[in-house]
Amino acid sequence: MPKTIEQPFDAANIPGPKMAMLLEKGKPVAMALKKAKHPLLIVGPDITPAMIERVKKFAEKGITVVATGNAIGKLANSGINAKYAVLHELTQFLLDPNWKGFDGKGNYDVVLIMGTIYYHGSQMLAAIKNFAPHIRAISIDRYYHPNAAMSFGNLWRKEEDYLALLDEIVADL
Amino acid sequence: MAIEFRKGALVIDEMRNVSIKIGEIVEEEEEWAPMGPTPFPQIETLRDWDFTLLKRYKPFYAPYCDMCCLCTMGKCDLTENKRGACGINLEAQTARIVDIAVAIGTACHTGHARHMLHDIEHVTGKKLEEIPVDLGPEIAEVAPLTQLITGIKPKTLADLERALTYVEEQIVQVMDAIHTGQEGSYLDFESKAFHLGMMDALGKEIADIAQICAFNLPKGESNQPLIELGMGVLDRNKAIVLVIGHHAPPAFNIADYIERNKLSDEVELAGICCTAHDMTRYWPKAKIAGSLGRQLKVVRSGLADIIVIDEQCIRADILYHAGKLGIPVLCTNAKAMHALPDMTKKDPKEVIKYLLDGNPGAVVLDPLKVGEIAVEVARARRKKRGEIKPVLNEEQFMNYVKSCTQCGNCTIACPQKIRIGEAMKAAEKGNRKELEEKWDVCITCGRCEQVCPKKIPIIDVFNYAAWNRIINEKGKVRRGRGPVRDSEIRNVGAPIVLGTIPGIIAVVGCSNYPNGTKDAYTIVNEFASRNYIVVTTGCMAMDCGLYKDEEGKTVYEKYRDDFDGGCVTNLGSCVSNAHIHGAAIKVARIFAMRNIRANFEEIADYILNRVGACGVAWGAYSQKAASIATGVNRLGIPVVVGPHGSKYRRAFLGRPYNDEDWMVYDVRSGQKVRIEPAPQDLLVAAETIEEAIPLIAKLCFRPNDTDKGRAIKLTHYIDLSLKYLGRMPDDWHLYVRTETDLPLAKREELLKELEEKHGWKIDWSRKKIIEGPIRPYHAGFNPTCVERLFREGFSSVAKK
Repeated sequence: MPKTIEQPFDAANIPGPKMAMLLEKGKPVAMALKKAKHPLLIVGPDITPAMIERVKKFAEKGITVVATGNAIGKLANSGINAKYAVLHELTQFLLDPNWKGFDGKGNYDVVLIMGTIYYHGSQMLAAIKNFAPHIRAISIDRYYHPNAAMSFGNLWRKEEDYLALLDEIVADL
Repeated sequence: MAIEFRKGALVIDEMRNVSIKIGEIVEEEEEWAPMGPTPFPQIETLRDWDFTLLKRYKPFYAPYCDMCCLCTMGKCDLTENKRGACGINLEAQTARIVDIAVAIGTACHTGHARHMLHDIEHVTGKKLEEIPVDLGPEIAEVAPLTQLITGIKPKTLADLERALTYVEEQIVQVMDAIHTGQEGSYLDFESKAFHLGMMDALGKEIADIAQICAFNLPKGESNQPLIELGMGVLDRNKAIVLVIGHHAPPAFNIADYIERNKLSDEVELAGICCTAHDMTRYWPKAKIAGSLGRQLKVVRSGLADIIVIDEQCIRADILYHAGKLGIPVLCTNAKAMHALPDMTKKDPKEVIKYLLDGNPGAVVLDPLKVGEIAVEVARARRKKRGEIKPVLNEEQFMNYVKSCTQCGNCTIACPQKIRIGEAMKAAEKGNRKELEEKWDVCITCGRCEQVCPKKIPIIDVFNYAAWNRIINEKGKVRRGRGPVRDSEIRNVGAPIVLGTIPGIIAVVGCSNYPNGTKDAYTIVNEFASRNYIVVTTGCMAMDCGLYKDEEGKTVYEKYRDDFDGGCVTNLGSCVSNAHIHGAAIKVARIFAMRNIRANFEEIADYILNRVGACGVAWGAYSQKAASIATGVNRLGIPVVVGPHGSKYRRAFLGRPYNDEDWMVYDVRSGQKVRIEPAPQDLLVAAETIEEAIPLIAKLCFRPNDTDKGRAIKLTHYIDLSLKYLGRMPDDWHLYVRTETDLPLAKREELLKELEEKHGWKIDWSRKKIIEGPIRPYHAGFNPTCVERLFREGFSSVAKK
């Protein structure tokens, strides 16, 4: 059992004994990214302009960004050179250790996720948690995602706090 | 004729002490086509085909729950694919849960079919063998699924009953395998799910053909009348009978009663969900109040004078919500009786009095009694009630929105994650637009009301804010026409297989949309305007008819209802989905002259490789939707669901980079060939509508497309991607086999991109591709995924 958890953003989304460790600081995410050999940031459609600004900073730090749903247009308009994938298909590829990734360098070892349609993203994280031992999935979304390995809490009504956490990660990279 | 002789002396001229019993008379089946290899397939019969699909479309599991709690050795924690006390691991357990869901859906359609046959005999007074399966002069292939799966070509409803008995046995056998200590492999669980899905399709076909033939519903004719649709079309001056469910004979009786007593000026018959579709197929004066997502909106708006329920998709708490407004509920089906007294044997007048005395409801299981009870209760209640107004008044509305504490419980409970508190706050300040807009996104599940610490009746608050929208919600839907005619298949079979009609888009399923009903309209309008064949059924068939174009036309007024490119055809209710399978099967039979008799594997292989059809269930929510999708998947047709669809836990997703997954046999060359990923997935959830639309177009590619057809499909895929995602798709080049596959208007531009971005070699003097594609194009390419067919050849009924 994790030391600290929170109520999932979908009240009944209690998957089982293993739920994400609650992140109250950005530093552990930055640490995970620094240690990662091949990180990936998945960005879904549920994003604000302020979040897109932070995504840009992640991209500038060399992290591959992939947009899902209709997020690709929003990122492109902000000058972010993101990849595009259908999240369901992308997650299937992530489960396959032999997938070569977007850059041909192989599958990813740390996957950050933000902005996905909450319940759909939760299912994708459940797949990664249970069937992709080669990946550590971290939610840096505004909602607590129990199926991630680590997740921010429910900050959907505390935008300033949430953005500060994202800034903390970027600052530490 | 079989005569069973039992013990005793048989003396022909003096028959004494001999009992001769003649049981069922089994007539020799008409030799309408040579019997194929798999009549009445059992669990294991089509396993090889299933494994072929499962190798290419590797099951993707996203568990909704990491535990198993089905036996007393548990609960077991299966997280990270651990094994539980019985030995099952999480992937097999997830597949097992999918089997259970598919079995529930299949049982629902099959139980509906059985109930239909019982009701037909009771209501018509005829025996099943007295009712012919006659779908008119333009339909010779009357029951493509029954013919394909069982080998029976039914002449009467009694023949359909034989097929139904088989379906019932198969459901029992698969459910047996789900018990603890039986199946252990996810692959075999999936094969069983496919088997159930196929049974589901067969059950649906039986149910729909039976009701068409017995109750004289439309038999595939085009130019069906337009049915009034929406909450605003209900005449609030009349007594309103609201029916909810899927089994229409009780609603037919209501219609008969209204007609017989000339009450249509006084009584309105309206419905929600598939009973609404089916009763308009019987009586087009009936109206459709809305889809499943409108159920509580309608009930809680107080529009109904009586609610008549039958089976499936009815709120489990219907009595609670109806009771808030004192609306009596009449249960007409043993599957949903809600602890109400069974008054089937009582005189209808006694039941009417009981319901008018303020009792919450009653059970009446005889459809022949329902009409009188429902109509007379509604008429009596109408006389007592005044004008229908919003349930709340202005003062109550304002008091409720002011009482919201912004705790956020409602949003956390809401499956759509609607910021209800924020909308309340805006309303408090005088801006009700947010509440009105979210009224449509809300699927009216009612969970928000369960957790509100202030007990705010949130549904009533939404309804009040959206009252103008409610009373002005006036759309149209074509009456469900049932099957696709053989003559239509003759016209479109070649263009479909060659690819010049870019695809068949089957817009089906429930209304659990991620972002409101308008997506249904957008999908239908987009594909119909591009010359795809669009067919609709169920709740999505209704929701797409709620919106109008600039000229004030719904999609049903804008497009013809033929089975042809650029048409939008409502086939009917959930069980009418079987006609979509039927159309694909008939392409194989009528265009390609394949033998469809008891020949599932060959025909599914044909459809997978040649028929560019794609199902879209953007709001799929139910176990029935799971069984429907699994059934079409086994037949080789992919399905796109909305983001809620990933909660089904399992998808079938291809890996286009894996060469070995995309090998087929080419009968022409005798070689194994690596094909493009066409179609890439069999079951996939899209996150947003902008993503779904290009994805649907992509899933219409088939390896057998001609270059002309491929160019048309590629044009739409690229165009839709540019329109909705603002970019060229990353994988468009995978579908290029030759330069003539490229859209003519963009050929040079695309050749340049192939050279520069993908490293292909182009001979610019001839504008020809020299090197690069996954495979070259050959007009005679004749693909099959089945080694047996490669060796033995296809089964044809063409006259030699």
